[in-house]
This record gives sequence, C-alpha cells and structure tokens, in this order.
Amino acid sequence: MVAPGADRPARVRLTGADCFLRAFDAEIARTNGASHLSQLVLRLGPGFDGGRFRALVSEAAEAQPILRAPVRRKFWLGAPVFDLRAGRSRPAPPIDEHDGGDAPDVDAPFPARFEQRLNERCSLRRGELLRFDVVRYRGDAATDLAMTWQHLLFDGSGSEHFVRWLDACWRGEQRVDTLPDPDELASPSAPERSASERGRAARSWQSWLESLATRPMRSLAGPRRRTPQALRWDVLTLDGSDSERVVAAAGRRAGFLTPMLFYLAVAIRAHHAVARARGLDAGSYVVPLPVNLRPRGTAGAVFRSHVSLLWFQVLPDQVEDLDELIGALKAQRLAAIKAGHIENGTDAMDFARFAPTRLYTHMARRAFGGELCSFFFAYTGEFLGRLESCFGAELRNGFHIAPVPPSPGSCVAMSLRRGRLNVTHAHQRGVFSDAEQSVFRDSLLADLVRGT
Amino acid sequence: MSEWSRDALGERIFQILRDDILSVEGLFSPQSNLVDAGLDSLAVTQLMLAIEESTGIWVDESLLTPENLESAETLTALVHAQLQGD
Repeated sequence: MVAPGADRPARVRLTGADCFLRAFDAEIARTNGASHLSQLVLRLGPGFDGGRFRALVSEAAEAQPILRAPVRRKFWLGAPVFDLRAGRSRPAPPIDEHDGGDAPDVDAPFPARFEQRLNERCSLRRGELLRFDVVRYRGDAATDLAMTWQHLLFDGSGSEHFVRWLDACWRGEQRVDTLPDPDELASPSAPERSASERGRAARSWQSWLESLATRPMRSLAGPRRRTPQALRWDVLTLDGSDSERVVAAAGRRAGFLTPMLFYLAVAIRAHHAVARARGLDAGSYVVPLPVNLRPRGTAGAVFRSHVSLLWFQVLPDQVEDLDELIGALKAQRLAAIKAGHIENGTDAMDFARFAPTRLYTHMARRAFGGELCSFFFAYTGEFLGRLESCFGAELRNGFHIAPVPPSPGSCVAMSLRRGRLNVTHAHQRGVFSDAEQSVFRDSLLADLVRGT
Repeated sequence: MSEWSRDALGERIFQILRDDILSVEGLFSPQSNLVDAGLDSLAVTQLMLAIEESTGIWVDESLLTPENLESAETLTALVHAQLQGD
C-alpha cells in the first residue's frame, strides 16, 4: 500500500501487453477514427447517489493521476509511459448522466448510448483514458452504469479491482490516496532471466506464432477491413438453472479449474457455424486466450495490463465434435505451458515496447495474410464475486465488453454474475448479417444449454 | 508397482505446492484448501507437470474435481491411486 503523502513516480512504463493494446488503438484510429475501448457495465438497483459518485471519481482522479495521464514516449524514444505529472493537470474523468425513462426489468436491454460510447475517439496523448455513463431510471428505481476505458489503463481483472476499490472508498473502507495492493504500479511476478535468455524466449514465441501462420486463416470480417467504426454488442444472459448446468458441464468436460476451454470451444463452434452458413472456408481458427499474470494469492495490480497470451489453432475438421475440440484445446494449452510460452510471450511483448507502435499489428498481419486472428475471446469467471452491492445500490448484473478492431471484427467474452452466465458478443457492424447473428446465437445456445 | 510410498508422495506434493506453485505463508498445511490458497487454472497445470516430472505419471485434468483438489492430502490420494493403477 502506498502511504498517504508518499512520493509518487512522475512516469510509469507501459507493460509489454499495454504496448500491444496501444498498437490496436493506433490501428483502430487509423482505419476508422475510433479507439480501443473496453467497457464494464453494472445494472444497479435503487439507492445510487449520482452527486456522491461524481465527487468520489473526482477525488480518486486527484489522488491517482494515472486515471488521466497522457500516454507518450519521452522525446519520441524509449518505451511509452503514463505521464503522471502531466496527468495531474488534466480534467477528471467525465461522467455523463442520462434519463432512462421507466425502470427496466433485470433482463431488459441495456441503453444504446453505452454502445455508442465505444465508437468514439479518446486520445491517449491527451490522457482521455476513462469515462462513465450513468442512466437513471424514473423514480430512482434503478441505474445502469457503464465504465468505458482505454484498454491499456486496466485489463479485465484490473477493471474489476478498480471498481472494488472505488466501492470500498465509497463505503469508507479505503482512502482514495491508497490502493488495496502493493503491486499497483509494479510489474507482476516473472521468472528471473538474463537479457540473452529473454531474447531467446522472445524468439521462441515469435517462431511459435509463425508456425501457426503456416496454415491459412480467415476471420469473418476478412483482412484489412476499413469501415467507419460501428462496434455493437449483445448480451445473452442465461437463467440460473441453465447456468448451473452449463457451469457443471464446463467443469466436467474441460476440467473444474480450466472451464475456459469449454467456453472457448463453444465460441469457436459459433464462429464456425456462421462460416459454414456463409460458405466461407476459414482455413483454420486462430484465437488468443489472455492469461492473468498477477501473483497468486494477491488481489493483484490495478492499473495496466498484466496478461500474456496463449494462442490456439484448430482446423475446421476438429470443430465438428465439441468434446474432440475441447481435447485439442487442452492438448495445445498443455504443450504451450510446457514450452514456456506464457513467459516467452511476456518477454516478447516486453522487448517490443521499444519498437514502433505499429510493429505488432504489422507483424501479425504479415504473418496471417492481413488478419490478426479469427476472433478475440475472454472468460473472466465470477464478475465482482461476493460484491452484493456497489456504490450504495444492489448489484443486479454486470459484465465486460471487450473491444475488437474492424478485423477480425468479433469478440466473445463470458463471465458469471450471481450464478448466471453472461455471454457478450462485440462485433463490428456488417461482419454479421441478421441471419448470421441468429446462426451464431443458435449455435451458442445449442452447445451451452441444449448440449449440456 | 510404484516406488512411491503414500507418505513420500504426500511430502513431495506438499513441497511442490508450497515451494513452487503457491505463494503461501506459514499457515499452509497438507489439509489447507488449495483453491483458497490460490490454486488456479495455470497453477493446476504447472502442478500436474511438476508431479509428472517427479513421478512419471500424468493426471488428466478431468480427474481434478473439487473434491480431489480439496487439499494436498486429497490430491495425494488421487495421484497415489493412479500410481497403483487404480
């Protein structure tokens, strides 16, 4: 914990994973004028106090200048940093309040403005890293709150840690000039390696990716898609009994601590169903899976991205049978962990921090014929687990929306809240027709509900 | 028949968990709950790899139920049964 009044650094380096995300932001800005933004959505019951929330965010931003710090390279050289000193003079993260009309049912659609917010440009260089949208419903019966941020400010876990911390400040259990974890600005645990060992590790990771590129791969968006940004998202929330069955099946079929492989398999099959309906030969499905690098047994770092990536590749033939697909994913995950590719990926991304921003996406596109991957995927487990209320109101539902560039144009994120499974699908307009969206949803439901 | 006695195996698994896999303080014991102690998806795979390296046996993740991962003791029982060919 940082002691109140203790000296804070003037700058904080981006992690290698942050630089990866910064490259995506540059790409999205260049191709369609928007940003690489993530969103966390909370559906709250009565009791939310907008004025108090505004004051709290303002105090938090004052105490934590990284929340509004410009991201830049010092003198255009070296690794990019969060410029905390400059952040101190930037405005607090904006909070826009909107009238939502009559109170929604817990499963009602979410406000369209949340979706619109993901299509705006937020400049890293100006420190436009975080903002909130609050939709109040008539009679103060409910509130929907969206936290939208530049994806390199927090990763998925970090964003939940941040909301927990902010809520603890709201309850008076934390002070805004402290954070709940001593690693807030430190790098996550990593094996000690010499520079040459790290160089070999980085080259090994690069070779691994190049080996995946020896097979063709085509996303549903197609390569180098240049269209105005129009990211949309849908959320599918299963009821309690269906979710219970799905969770049990995921543990049984993929392993109780590795259920993400079941969910990833389901997402691959949904994309495959669309490709088949379209008559598209996808060649293979290549999907990165984020791996949390936070030290075990700690709450973990709040800011920046502390993840590595495990890559999976399956052929269309392997997708036809769900259990065979899960088996293939298990084998690939084990082989990648054995080969040290989690640590290798961290080293590779760390090295590339000093390279030009576009290098990441350029290398990936060159390897994969203009594509980055087939789609993005994340499974984040229990969403704000054990937090029954947030900012003074019952927390009825909540989930993440992960961003996705125009190509591959599709991202699936899954999490659990109060025993219910939320499946969010972010997709660029035009990548899925209405009919294809039905095919996609049917495939998800068939595997998740009818198949279990 | 395996060269590993149940006690020696239990000691080795506990040692791997304590020293290499989990960031645990002094309160960690063979009866401690592994998930509460921080065993997650990555840790469990690293644990299985370490057990394979020590004993030569691979325990498939489908056998790793909440009951089997309750503690170092219950995990030892599972691995020992595998070593005995059960």
